[in-house]
Amino acid sequence: MAKRRSRGRKKTRRKQARRRPGSSWWLRLLLLLVVVLAAYVVYLDYQVRHQFDGKRWSLPARVYARPLELYAGKPLTAEQFVTELKSLHYRPVVAPRTAGQFSRNVNRFQLISRAFDFWDGREPPVNVRLQFSAGRLTALTDAASGSAISLLRLDPVLVGSFYPAHIEDRVLLKLDEVPVSLTDALIVIEDRDFYSHHGVSPSGVARALLANIRAGGVVQGGSTLTQQLVKNFFLSSERSLVRKFNEAIMSLLLEWHYDKDDILEAYLNEVYLGQDGNRAIHGFGLASHFYFERPLAELSVDQYALLVGMVKGPSYYNPRRHPQRALARRNLVLEVMADLQLISADEAARAKARPLGMSARQRVAINTFPAFLELVRRQLQRDYRDEDITSDGLSIFTTLDPQVQWQLEGVLGTRLAQLERDRGMQANTLEGAAVVTSVPGGEVLALAGGRDPDFAGFNRALDARRQVGSLLKPAVYLTALEQAGHYTLATLLDDSPLTFTARNGAVWEPDNYDKVSHGEVPLYQALAHSYNISTARLGLDLGIDTIIDTLRRLGVEQSLKPYPSLVLGAVEMSPLQVAHMYQTFASGGFRTPVRAITAVLAADKTPLQRYPLTVQSAIKPTADFLVNTAMRLAAREGTGRGMYQLLPDSLDVAGKTGTTDNLRDSWFAGFTDERLGVVWIGRDDNKSSGLTGASGALRVWSDLFARFNHGDQVPPVIEGIEFQQIDPGSGLLADSGCPDAVQLPFITGSAPQSYAACARGKRGLPDPVDWFKELFQ
Amino acid sequence: MKCLPVICTAVLSVLFALQGCSTTSSPSRASTVIEQGESLPGQPANHPGQPASARTDVAYATPATVTHQPAAVVALLKQAEGQANAGELDAAAASLERAIRIDPRNPLLWYHLATIRLSQENPAQAEQLASKSNSLAPGNYVQQSRGWLLIAAARRQQNNVAGAASAEQRARELAAH
Repeated sequence: MAKRRSRGRKKTRRKQARRRPGSSWWLRLLLLLVVVLAAYVVYLDYQVRHQFDGKRWSLPARVYARPLELYAGKPLTAEQFVTELKSLHYRPVVAPRTAGQFSRNVNRFQLISRAFDFWDGREPPVNVRLQFSAGRLTALTDAASGSAISLLRLDPVLVGSFYPAHIEDRVLLKLDEVPVSLTDALIVIEDRDFYSHHGVSPSGVARALLANIRAGGVVQGGSTLTQQLVKNFFLSSERSLVRKFNEAIMSLLLEWHYDKDDILEAYLNEVYLGQDGNRAIHGFGLASHFYFERPLAELSVDQYALLVGMVKGPSYYNPRRHPQRALARRNLVLEVMADLQLISADEAARAKARPLGMSARQRVAINTFPAFLELVRRQLQRDYRDEDITSDGLSIFTTLDPQVQWQLEGVLGTRLAQLERDRGMQANTLEGAAVVTSVPGGEVLALAGGRDPDFAGFNRALDARRQVGSLLKPAVYLTALEQAGHYTLATLLDDSPLTFTARNGAVWEPDNYDKVSHGEVPLYQALAHSYNISTARLGLDLGIDTIIDTLRRLGVEQSLKPYPSLVLGAVEMSPLQVAHMYQTFASGGFRTPVRAITAVLAADKTPLQRYPLTVQSAIKPTADFLVNTAMRLAAREGTGRGMYQLLPDSLDVAGKTGTTDNLRDSWFAGFTDERLGVVWIGRDDNKSSGLTGASGALRVWSDLFARFNHGDQVPPVIEGIEFQQIDPGSGLLADSGCPDAVQLPFITGSAPQSYAACARGKRGLPDPVDWFKELFQ
Repeated sequence: MKCLPVICTAVLSVLFALQGCSTTSSPSRASTVIEQGESLPGQPANHPGQPASARTDVAYATPATVTHQPAAVVALLKQAEGQANAGELDAAAASLERAIRIDPRNPLLWYHLATIRLSQENPAQAEQLASKSNSLAPGNYVQQSRGWLLIAAARRQQNNVAGAASAEQRARELAAH
């Protein structure tokens, strides 16, 4: 822009010089030059103020995982706690002295947490002691006073950022967040007259010149910090006299309008300090994270000195690539600091003796969990434009639980490889996807879009629409159980062969997976064993439209064709959509939208938007309890029973397998009262995976749920439910005379009235239980 | 709505007695649901229906009423109470959501979240949250009665007069249990 202007100016001058020759032409020319120059300065002034007052930088949105809540009684192992601390880059030390440090003695920890601005306020740093025992955090106390702390929220793990096309990254800092010793060192090294000059420093230039002559090459630049800032902030990197001129004028203007602290703060955030692949590292805030994996405030003096030294040439002094050069440069900075008594000689000597102390990691993966981040981005896009997401410096607080995510990534990859080996399949034939949510809040805790967790491409959890098969059956059974006058868990269903001819003449003959029809079966068994024929008959009796209505209440939104095959799962859904549907079953009949985001903060940490917990009553809790009971039986003794080889017997799980024609898709959806998991396994080319729901997806699900810390199991208590002993053969009341009796719940008043043939009561023999009762009457 | 300690104690003991009347089995984690400064369930209650500005004080939990709750949940309830009293309703809701993550089956937490939504003039969500709270409080007639009163207020805010009347009727029946 500036360049084009100056060219235009020259042309004008030539024209005018030709038109008006004369003795005073040079005077006029001078006058004109002054006017043009003044106009140009005004133009530069506008540029300086416009850009400096406005939004100075495009800041990517930062995406955070859920914060780890610590409180006595929390199910959390010491190892999981350490994993979390490591991913937050807390440093193990002998005795923690500053925020971000912790010490460990087997199951006892001491930790100083970091302050953090959450959407609902600032969490101050706390010095605490923690104790773990038997998979729980058992004590949380203030390290100084020893008094119990009821609750502590750690800073959340940063899981990724949303960048614009050109990736320029920084962590913005306010001047008062930057340690004084760093700014002192920076000024001493780069611009000693910073606080006295007006933007350009002749004495600085002279000193640099002298130093360069002495050294026989360029060892010092004469640019002030202001000039360096102007160069980086407003101008291109070309070296020309015009640019040098612009730089000087703009520096003077910047100093004229703004005070030193503003300029210094901008400099600290703007300065280029390295490159991470295609991401440019700007400012000391991000450089601290990039080189040392911790906030700037937690660095030691030798680490400040290294960063200050790198300003001169971030690539030349790159400590990862050129450690010797970087070390020499750092030590030079430390010597200068000692010379000018910013630090004592002792301190300098100690600091010089330290190694460079960078994190070992060569390249920071920009986005740790790309599949989950894709879900976050899509949910954000409902409310924000793309440019807001990538440039406004939003803080996005998500529901991701990194512990669950790591566990999911681990088991999915391992189990798929195992299945391939067991079945003699070529490696990497199978693909998988999974979603884990929290039951009470519908919060997405983890998401796998494929078996390679680092792959940011096709996201099967969101975008693979596959037939769900028997996963749909609970909706059919729920529709029945809502009609308590007609159906109960004990109602006998007809599982004999069925031939259904539609009005258009199409014939439908559903078959059971085992190719056997089972005669009359109680309703709960038909679901637990996933019988197709009895389900098809039930679905036809209920009416496809009634079932579609149920699916809508369960939150299924896509178009559904009212064909009879719908009841056996001829519907294509993504794992996330399945999770949404099962969420309602899991949370007592209340539909809770599946959420990945809890809140968004603006760059200045003011709350922009909350994504609150909402519930919508969708099914009667009683009917929900009944269908969940059948799904619990599916897990205990039906198609899902394999899970208890890995899970504790005490854990209550309700779940359903899904298998589609020719074993294309293997599904399992299951939940405890805390978490819901949906797993899909299949092949991208839609060929047979060779797996049923039980032999594939259920295995992954069980591996995963076996790794979780399950809280206390509290049996759900529902109003309007009564329990009765039932003889499954007849679906009638049973007593101790019936060897196969099962206890089933009924919506109050809907239980069968008559006794089965096996019941003693019916034959007039007193029931032992009744004797017992009589004692108390 | 601040009440004198003597009155509070009286209210508490009456409500404890009421709760003792319930015969249905209650879940092991059933919470005591008494708040300081609230009117008795069954009496004409204007508390839940009034906008936040009309309230002088909100009292969510006192150590006396919730000592058996996890300390973390008590702390969050107190925090939410303070935030609600300071008019920071979003923050209060966020604190209650944190508490729900820790103790999701606690009907009290869902109930208070419902009151916040009502104060924020979101009666539809208040009604849903109150019925979620009620579904988690089987046999706890005091809590359910309060839930129905809140539902009544939420329905009234939505101009559903008949629905509000029937909800109040439910509340009275439960309180008389």
